[in-house]
Amino acid sequence: MNTWLPVLLTAQALVAATPLVLAGLGELVAERTGVLNIGIEGLVLAGCLAGFATAAATGNPWLALLAAVAVGALLALGFGLLTIYARCDQIVAGLALNLVVFGATGTAWTLMQDHGLTTMAEGVGFTRGWCAGWGRDLPLIGPLVFNQYGLTVVVAGLAVMTAWILARTRLGLVLRALGDEPDACAAAGIPVRRWRLLAVVGAGAAAGAAGAFLATMRTNSFVPMMSGGLGFIVLALVMFGRWRVGWMVAGCLLFGLVDALQQHLQAQAGANRIPFQLWQVMPYATALVVLGLVRRGTAGPLMLTKPWG
Amino acid sequence: MPDPRQLLSAWPALAAALAAVALLLLGLWVAGGAPGEAAAAAWQGAFGSWRRLAITATEAVPLALCGLGAALAFRSGTLNIGLEGQCLAGMVAAIAVLVPLPPGPWACLAGLAAGALAGAAWCGVAVALERGRGVPLVLSTILLNTIAALLLGALVQGPLQAAGSAAPETAIVPEASRLAILATPLHLGALIAVLIAVASWLVQTRTVLGFELTVAGLNPETARFAGIPVAQRMLTAALGSGALAGLAGAIQVAGVTWFVSDGARSWGYAGIAVALLARLHPLGVLGAALFFAALEVGARTLERRMAVPHDVGVMVQGVAVAAVLLAGALSARRRR
Amino acid sequence: MLWLAGIHKRFGGAIALDGADLLVASGTVHGVLGENGAGKTTLMKVLYGLVRPDSGSMKLGGAELTPQSPRDATRLGIGMVHQHFTLVPTLSVRANCVLAAGTGLGRIDEAAWDQRIAALGERLHWHLNPEAIVGGLAVGQRQRVEIAKALLAAGIDADGSLAGRVLILDEPTAVLTPPEVEELLPALRRLAEAGTTILLVSHKLPEVLRVCDALTVFRRGRTVHAGPAADLDAERLALLMVGDEPRATITAGTARPDDDAPLRLDVAALSVPGSLHDLSFSVRAGEAVGIAGVDGNGQRELVRAILGLQPDASGRIDTPGLPAAQRLRGSGRIGVIPDDRQREALVLELPLSDNLALGDHRDPPLARHGWLFASAWRRHALALVERFGVRTPGVAVPAAALSGGNQQRAVAARALHRDPGLVVAVNPTRGLDIAASADVMARLAAARDRGGGVLLVHHDLDELLAVADRVLVLYGGRLIDSGWPACGRAAIGRLMLGLPPHA
Repeated sequence: MNTWLPVLLTAQALVAATPLVLAGLGELVAERTGVLNIGIEGLVLAGCLAGFATAAATGNPWLALLAAVAVGALLALGFGLLTIYARCDQIVAGLALNLVVFGATGTAWTLMQDHGLTTMAEGVGFTRGWCAGWGRDLPLIGPLVFNQYGLTVVVAGLAVMTAWILARTRLGLVLRALGDEPDACAAAGIPVRRWRLLAVVGAGAAAGAAGAFLATMRTNSFVPMMSGGLGFIVLALVMFGRWRVGWMVAGCLLFGLVDALQQHLQAQAGANRIPFQLWQVMPYATALVVLGLVRRGTAGPLMLTKPWG
Repeated sequence: MPDPRQLLSAWPALAAALAAVALLLLGLWVAGGAPGEAAAAAWQGAFGSWRRLAITATEAVPLALCGLGAALAFRSGTLNIGLEGQCLAGMVAAIAVLVPLPPGPWACLAGLAAGALAGAAWCGVAVALERGRGVPLVLSTILLNTIAALLLGALVQGPLQAAGSAAPETAIVPEASRLAILATPLHLGALIAVLIAVASWLVQTRTVLGFELTVAGLNPETARFAGIPVAQRMLTAALGSGALAGLAGAIQVAGVTWFVSDGARSWGYAGIAVALLARLHPLGVLGAALFFAALEVGARTLERRMAVPHDVGVMVQGVAVAAVLLAGALSARRRR
Repeated sequence: MLWLAGIHKRFGGAIALDGADLLVASGTVHGVLGENGAGKTTLMKVLYGLVRPDSGSMKLGGAELTPQSPRDATRLGIGMVHQHFTLVPTLSVRANCVLAAGTGLGRIDEAAWDQRIAALGERLHWHLNPEAIVGGLAVGQRQRVEIAKALLAAGIDADGSLAGRVLILDEPTAVLTPPEVEELLPALRRLAEAGTTILLVSHKLPEVLRVCDALTVFRRGRTVHAGPAADLDAERLALLMVGDEPRATITAGTARPDDDAPLRLDVAALSVPGSLHDLSFSVRAGEAVGIAGVDGNGQRELVRAILGLQPDASGRIDTPGLPAAQRLRGSGRIGVIPDDRQREALVLELPLSDNLALGDHRDPPLARHGWLFASAWRRHALALVERFGVRTPGVAVPAAALSGGNQQRAVAARALHRDPGLVVAVNPTRGLDIAASADVMARLAAARDRGGGVLLVHHDLDELLAVADRVLVLYGGRLIDSGWPACGRAAIGRLMLGLPPHA
């Protein structure tokens, strides 16, 4: 049962969905407060490099995660200051952030290669199977729950927590109100810009962590532009999920499933007559089609991309 | 979007560009390098001789065309981030037309036209998704960039692959169908870019169409009440920007590469940055494109001579855009 | 006792408050009056901690009062209801109250909040459904939520007493229908009886005189009068507010146009799904037709349909002599004063001359064969500025540099300078002071008198009645002919709420 194809694909989809959900939660909250950061692609990429470099240098994946979180948060802080305090256009600032990170990671990677820092030792990265022993061999829940990356479980918990906070707490109210009617927050004495900045920095940290997961999971090396559009997909998924945690996570799982499916099909015998790009394009095309199928006119946060004050 | 009237002053763009370069040199100095030497080397590489200048100008052509496309779109409030994908679509269409047609200037013209059309069409997909299904242009164009890159890769390994070749490359454009060379490697495309920039500037400042595009971009509701057909104007701008990006790709194929291979390019992305640095001014786009090209060419020289990674060029581009944004925001704040 | 003495405040070069004084007895309703720019709103913002005074002193209940922020003021028991509601439309009534009055960031005890909201509603004889989404409420209901949240934030004693609290209301009746006003004013009295001190900022003199115990009048940042309301009448108050400055007067239509005057607008069976149901009416040359109604009853869709900007409109809209494609283009176009001048009428970033050209920008002499003539634009702008008295440092400055009143004068100039056959004006005095309002309304009346048909969609009933020859009431997307001027003002007020014209 544990090698039954749907189970294998679902297990793989969970892995693929983990960084998407992680970065998506941050972006969702930031967008709820009214800030759209298309520089999230750059943040993920920066997290990849920071995570890889730290893992390679220290051999500790947790330090790698920490470094990626710090780098993501720091870059997002710059973005937040530009857009929230200096009132720069969010889209344009996000583009600039991407450019800076693309250039900086390329530069840093070349320098690292010059210094021989190109691979990390075997077994440094995160490994699957957070729960030791017999649990992993259980049917269904073995591969789907116990034989997953520890981070996947943590991210699932984060998703539940974020949904709860948004729905049930005053913090959630504040975050939602910031994106819909910041004047109401200001009238209630809530410092609009500071909270928005906090949300943006938090989203940066989450995106950085997602990058670290990418870099220390599937491969044990860094590849320039290895984020491969993950940040952009996250933007699409947040919109697909209509800015609700549950729907966003569902979108991530769907995307992960399509991704797992295309990898599986690609590996099938005879599939190599079709250029691999045609397989790889599947998740992106799916994202576009699914976006087109979402009920139209679903507006996001009312003040998304509008500076305040 | 940045206010098009701010373009009247060019100082924020110049200051931003200089600040970005200075920051880079400072970083180099901190890292123990020799900033003076590096600056001299980069300058030499980009402008050191007529030939180096021609190389830089050649590099600037696709940037300028994509930049003009981005400026057109952004000025009318159309968030076309998909110039990269549209540029790739233009390359594919151009090579698909240039190779099989009987060689000659007409084939070249047909190739360029096909590129422009393909760019417009690729942008049209995004516009149709927005109009019909409410998918924001920002998202769809970003996704279409990735899709275009993957499809290009598939095509140069499939139907467009050169006969008998193992590499993912197309056949080569016959010599008679290529763009004329003005001064090696500078080709006729440079002249086209300059002409389009001037025409673009005239349209923006002197015509009803340009005025209506500006009004529609700054305040679509006001535009509607003034009887301006906003949806139509935005469509014009979107398709026009896609066509310019497609043309950039086609010109690159017909003038520089003469074939298409799989691999990364980023004229479309850089074009957006160029337009922003130029603060959406069509003539400013020419200057900004030259600046970006010089960074690119200079950075490559630096890499050869001083082992400085050429990606620093991209980084400086990003910093320059951020700096010009900040300068614009600060001057807007001061005026308020 | 609330005591503000010698408050000074300047913004840049402009003096907003020039030694303003205010003395208010606890548990009373106190009227704060003055024209726009008299400083009354600034003074209230000082009291609420939104603006720091340059000098002066404030005392509440004998203790020194120095609120540093609204949060600070709220802690001291001061609440403020702004003219523009600060409610989150996507959230429920309860959530809005929690957002404004709650502390901490943790879990929300919904039952406890519902109880507090219900208790307050009981005291004010109001019912508030805590689950209702604010965006779906009528304006009067929203205002109750706004007041409730301000009071909850200012704190209520365990026994339900509101003693020592101060509630500031900035133009609370500006957005209400007459019957809604009739419900608000007694509630204010009940609040005062519960011990709350109420500061009522308003320029509606009859209401103020009815509900207030005492009044303070401001002019140019200074207190010019303070005393019991009983000593004053509307005439004397108006004089105190404006001083000796002359003011323009509007003449209502004296003679109704003949029934054979040419039609300028003929609407039949106009419907827009979800907002307008089977509307039919017409506007003749030389006639001003007023559309009264509370904002949000279909005004937006009606105006858009007439201008051809509402694609889902069905029915017949005829502008005789004016093809549909030319309603907004060309020399015969409709003169439009849109509802929201910043969002629908102006491009704030562009120069005034560009803004004044909008609509005419493709026709000679401003343009020929698609090419613009910059010098003609300048001449055009200068001529309009001169003729319509737009006060501006020049025509090359961005529209954003003009004051609200002068922006509106520019919009009116653009709409009226060609003596259009049909004028459509929506809330043309929104946010303007008395002088600017009178000016704009007089221009509309003049356009009517010169033979234009005027469709005036206005939420301010008094201004509407001063100009309109006929009044139709728009309620719930349906149009009712009020029979004005035969009917009374009160009947129109009732129609605006969907009630029969007579009780």
